[in-house]
Parts: sequence; C-alpha cells; structure tokens
Amino acid sequence: MAKAASERLRARRLLLDALKMPETLTALSLADWELLLRVARRARVLGRLESALDNAGLLGDIPPRAAAHLRAARNVIAHRKTLISWEVNRLFWALKEIDAPLILLKGTAYLLADLPPAQGRIFADVDLLVPEERIVEIEEKLVARGWFKTEIDPYDDRYYRVWMHEIPPLRHRERGTEIDIHHRLLPKTSHLASDPAPLFAAARPLADRQLRVLAPADMILHALVHLFLEGDPDEGLRLRDLLDVHDLLCHHGQEPGFWASLVPRARVLGFQRPLFYGLHHAQGLLGTPVPPDVLHDLEGEAPAWPIRKLMNRLIPLALLPGHPDHPSRQATLARWLIYVRAHWLRMPPGLLIRHLSHKAWLRFRGRRKRVDLAQLDLKQQ
Amino acid sequence: MIVGDLSRREFGTRLAGDGLRLQFGPFNLCIRSNLDSFASLAHRLYTPYPLLDEETLSDFHVEIRSPRGLHRWFRRQACFGVDGQTPFAPYTVEHAFPALEWGINWCVATRSHHLLMLHSGTVERNGQAILFPASPGDGKSTLCTALAHSGWRLLSDEFGLVRPEDGMLLPLPRLIPLKNESIEVIRRFRPEATIGPSFLDTRKGTVAHVRPPLESIRRAQEPARPRWLIFPRWVAGAPFALEAMPKSQAFLMVASNAFNYDVLDETAFRLVSEIVRSCDCYSLVYSDLNEAIPALDELCNTMAG
Amino acid sequence: MPSRLTVQEHPGDQLCEPSPISYLTKTAAEAGLIWENWDDLFVVYQPSSAETHVFNETTGSILECLGESALSADELKNQTEAALGVSQSELDDTDFAFALQRLEELGLIERLDDPSAAQ
Repeated sequence: MAKAASERLRARRLLLDALKMPETLTALSLADWELLLRVARRARVLGRLESALDNAGLLGDIPPRAAAHLRAARNVIAHRKTLISWEVNRLFWALKEIDAPLILLKGTAYLLADLPPAQGRIFADVDLLVPEERIVEIEEKLVARGWFKTEIDPYDDRYYRVWMHEIPPLRHRERGTEIDIHHRLLPKTSHLASDPAPLFAAARPLADRQLRVLAPADMILHALVHLFLEGDPDEGLRLRDLLDVHDLLCHHGQEPGFWASLVPRARVLGFQRPLFYGLHHAQGLLGTPVPPDVLHDLEGEAPAWPIRKLMNRLIPLALLPGHPDHPSRQATLARWLIYVRAHWLRMPPGLLIRHLSHKAWLRFRGRRKRVDLAQLDLKQQ
Repeated sequence: MIVGDLSRREFGTRLAGDGLRLQFGPFNLCIRSNLDSFASLAHRLYTPYPLLDEETLSDFHVEIRSPRGLHRWFRRQACFGVDGQTPFAPYTVEHAFPALEWGINWCVATRSHHLLMLHSGTVERNGQAILFPASPGDGKSTLCTALAHSGWRLLSDEFGLVRPEDGMLLPLPRLIPLKNESIEVIRRFRPEATIGPSFLDTRKGTVAHVRPPLESIRRAQEPARPRWLIFPRWVAGAPFALEAMPKSQAFLMVASNAFNYDVLDETAFRLVSEIVRSCDCYSLVYSDLNEAIPALDELCNTMAG
Repeated sequence: MPSRLTVQEHPGDQLCEPSPISYLTKTAAEAGLIWENWDDLFVVYQPSSAETHVFNETTGSILECLGESALSADELKNQTEAALGVSQSELDDTDFAFALQRLEELGLIERLDDPSAAQ
C-alpha cells in the first residue's frame, strides 16, 4: 500500500510539474517520461506539453520515443483545429443572410479569437450561443444547407428541449463535426441564475462582425461553470478546463481593470461560487497568479466551513487523473460525488433522480462503453 | 535477449509482476497478465521476439487478466486493459490470447498518429516492398503469410506504417491471425510454419496465429521502400488475374483503406500521392497460392532491375 | 469519424435548396488546393477543410476557367465548354448547375450579387 501511495504522489508531481515548468522536462528520466506520458494522455494534455516544449525550442532535447507520442498528439490536434475552423467558415456561409449574433464558446472561441488556451488543446465540437428566439430560424437554415439533426433517443431529445440550455447537436451530412447550439450557459432548471442577456450585451466581435466571443471575464466565468457543472462520473473534473482558465487569467490578467471587474461580474451573472473554487484551485494546483485582494474579496462567497473543507479535498482528487496502475477508491468516490453535485446544481431533485437512473440503465446495458470498431476496421476476435 | 532466453517460470513471474517488456518493430510494449494459460502460449509463440531491459520507455502498457471484483467468481473471463482503462467488454478466458493480440493492434491503430497507418499487408525483397491494401476478408493475411514463407520478408500483415519524414515503410512483424479456412490453406502450403492453437467461436470465427519466420523478426528495425501496390482479392475457384490498375483508383483505395488518412491531413495526401506515383499498381484475384506466389516472384524479378 | 473523401458525381439525391445564379468567384480556400491528375480524374486536397475531393474533368475545368475575375454562370459555362473542347451548350444545364452548387457547398466558389465587389 505504501508503494501505491508513493507512486500516486509521483504521478501527481510529474504531471503538475510538467504543466507548470515544461522546461524541466529535458532532465526527466525515461521511467518518469513513461509515467508522465500515461498520466498526461489520460488527462488529455499531451498536446499541451508538446506545444510548450515546441515554444521553448526543446522538442529535440527529449527522448525520441516520448517526442513521437507528443508528435502524434500534435497531429490529432492540428487536424481537429482545421475541422473546427472550417465548420465555423461553413456556418458563417450558411447563416450570413440571417442577421443574428453568433457567439462562439469554449474551444471554438479560443481558436477563432487566437487566445492562448487554443495552443495544444484538443477540440471536440463547435459550440455556439445564440438568442433563444432565433434558434428555430437558425436550425431551419442549417438544415436547408446540408446539416441534419443527429439522431438521439427520445428521452435525450426531450431532456434537451425541455430542460436544457441547448438543442440536440447538428451535423453536416458530409462532415463529422457536431455543432452544439446553446441559448444560455446553464440549463433553465439550474440552481444558479443564468440570464444570457448581459452576455450578449458585452460580447466582442471578431473580424467577421456576425461572429463574436464572450467578453474576457464572461469567458473565464463560463469556462469555470463548464468545469464545475459539466463533470463526468468516470473522468471527474476536467483538468484541461482548469488549464483553459489558467491561460485566460494569465492572458487577460495583464489588461488594466480586468481583475477589478472579475468578482463584480461574477455577482451579476450569479457565478460567484464557481469563481471562488476556480481561482483557489488554479492557484493551488497550477500556480496561477491571482491578486490577493481578489481572493480576499471572494472570501464572502465561500461555502460554510465543513463544506469548504470537504470540497478542498474532493476537487483536486476529481481534477487529477491518478495513477494508471494504482487507482484510488477515494478518487473514484470524489469524481462521483462531484458529478452528483454538478447535476444537483443543474436540476431539481426529482428530475435529477430520473436522469441519473436513466443514465445508470444505459450504462448497465453497456452503451457508454461502446467503441466504434467499424471505423477502426480492425478485425476483432 | 529474446523471450526464448527466459524460463517459462521467469516469463510468468514478469507477466504477473511489473510486466514483460517486449519490442515489436517500432513499438515497445509492457505486457501484464495473471492468467497462466495466457503465459504458456505467449512464452511459446513470442519466443524469438526481443526483450527490453527496464531502462526503456514502453509505448503501451497492456494487460489481459481476470476481472476485478465479484465478476470473477461466477464467470471465467479475461479483460483487456490499457493504462488502467478497459475499453472493451470482457472476453471468455479461453480467448485471452487473441484478445490481447487484437488489443495491441487497437493501441497501435488508435494512438500512433506520428506515422501514416495504411490498412495493408506489407512484404519486402531486395529492399523493395509490396503493399497489399485491403479490407478484412480479402485474403491479405493469407497472402502475406505465404509470401513470408517463400523468400519474402514480412513487414506486417495488417499495418502499412509509413514514416512521414522519408516515406519509408516500418516493419511490425507481429503474429499473423489467420481466420477460418485460411488456417488449413497455410498448413497445407507450408507444413513447417509455426501455428498456434485454433481458437473457436471468436467474433471472427476460428482464429490461429502464425509466427513470422525468424528472419522477419530479426530484421524488424530495417525499413523498406514501397515499390508495388497490389490490391488482392481471394475468390474461391477464380482463375489467377493480375491487372494494371488506374492510379486514381489506387489512390482512392489506399486512402480509404487507412487507419489515419483522415487524421494526418496534408501529410497523408502527400505521402499517399507519392506512394501511388512511385509504385506500379495492380489488382490481383487469386484462389490458389501455388499460382499466386510464383507470379508475384516473377513480377518482382522482371520489374526490379 | 466519417471518411473525408468526397466524390463528385452526377446530380443525385442530395440537392440542397437552389439559389439564384449570380456572379461567381473563387474563394481563398480554392487558392490553397493541391492537385493531382491521374487518368481523367483530379484528386484534389483542400487544406482549409482537410477534405480530399475527386473531381471529374468538367468540375476541374470549371475551377480552371474561373480565373481571377468574377464571371456570370453563363460566361463560365461557355468557357468551360471551350476548355473541354465540346460545342456550346453541349454541357447539360442540370449537371453544370449541380457542379456549381457542390463547389459552393465545399467553399471553393462563392456567389456575388455585384461582380465589382470581387477582390
């Protein structure tokens, strides 16, 4: 057991040191590289390590076998970036006759606005925020131009439309990228307020004026809301989302007036609690520079003492990937508790139980474990 | 050192402990298993493969073991794991060996995007390689096995690994999983071939693993240049036919029979274009290896000069 | 992930909403295309979208004829017929309109209401 505990500590230290001080990677032993690659793959930050080493001109100074893994991650990321940028290009083409603001969210926004988190980050879907009253029109236009509504089971469709903050994803018939269209940042059912009007008012236009991104403080708050309220029971909290927040804070933190506006803005949007946890743990795990008076200002937003102590323990456990050979029961429990908490904040209790039991049933049938083997074209025995 | 240098006992201890470190072509693997039946068969079939010492970096950490928790008490199963994750449903314990072999291929196919991975058998002679891009069931494994036992060097029966820097093909001479009637075909064609036990009722029918000839395994770090693209199709009773194929069609067939043409973007387009430009392209229909092998030998002899 | 190979075929089942023909011009995405020509087909890679297209001679000629300045659809059709060495109006209208629409969908050409707005 002592070995397992020390191995877990080693995995955690390797990952956090690599993220905070990538320049020290050139001194890593092969054994440490081996574990770091496994842990970083699980946290999906291989691409981030690659880009940090590339920027420092150090890719030639690491073991070639490690460099090959990082190269593979870089290639996948480059491909996903192309797909996301192109999907936005085609969306813009399809929707140019519609005079509605299209706010790009999350990875799509970082990429198109050329913000630091876009470097070395994996991109999945295109996320858009549009005014709720324009959704039908936008959906119809996209369907007329070759997109289709992805097939989801009737439970999920109803769940999306009735309770959620987005509609079921759309996909172009020839391309694989999904488009998630949101009309608010959180479900209508959420315990946290989430009136989207102030977001639209503050959004900033990109070169194509119809395309916009959230204002800096809003973007960071959204990243935090996403981090703490969209967990996954297996993966826990996504460390890469906290890294997005870290990058954005380092970037926008340089702008005059940014820090003074952050906490008041969180109060306007009702996101004080996620900001409290986010700043605290970004600073604790990643060394994000946060001015002391901002933390002081947020003290009043902290939960009651026992909850605060518990969350301080659970959040890092749920954020870090753990050791591949020495899984920890504590971490598994932490991930699950954080997931239930996220759902609790998103839905009223009756609905939560219905939703969780439906998901558990799907899981029992093995749906969540399904791997698309046809695409791999390998012959399964 | 090779696997054969380890006693069966030492081999099993490593598998059950920190892991057995093996080299398969460009990849280093760390394999773990607590299944005795798996260890016996692996010790026999992996005999000529090189062992790695502790001071190497393993690319994939895979395991095949009985499931944790209650499951193990009411059903004898084997779970494939990679880096602590179990991406597939458990297999019956009798199929542990093919499950691990398939799982390793899955790791290669889903992770090695620093290389262009064509879905293709590959053999070499005199530094020049034939690529056999094909879908499952077109008989590329059978053809590669037969050629590998007829003076050609096996690079792989499954992967055409193209190194982007220079377009060279990297060998990955793993065990060849033959299916159904091809097992008997190879036993008749080369009775001396080393073939493992037949696994019945797997998801692909009966499977048995052929060990590539020693020469192919010993030269696993020697790349080869693509020279021919041949698209094989095994058709029962069909007369042998080798016909030139238009390059545009060859391009489409290579690109659509690839594991990651879709991922490597422009690099993939340029590499596949270069392969198609520099290779002679043929379609091949065969039913009899005794016809096909001499014809491919002759193609190589007349065109190589 | 679906295959990123698209093959240009004759008019089929999947036409999108038609839009009125106006003036046509190439896009920035078209300028980045990488062409290979084998047999009577063009295998074309589009770096902006990571797609590989297979164009027949007609589609290839349309893009070749659409030079730096914008053309009306009629002008483009005449020039394409000349480049292919077929007589005027031998190119089927439906085929031609389909090719234009596909090229627009792929982001390789765009329509302009005012040809002077090109560049």
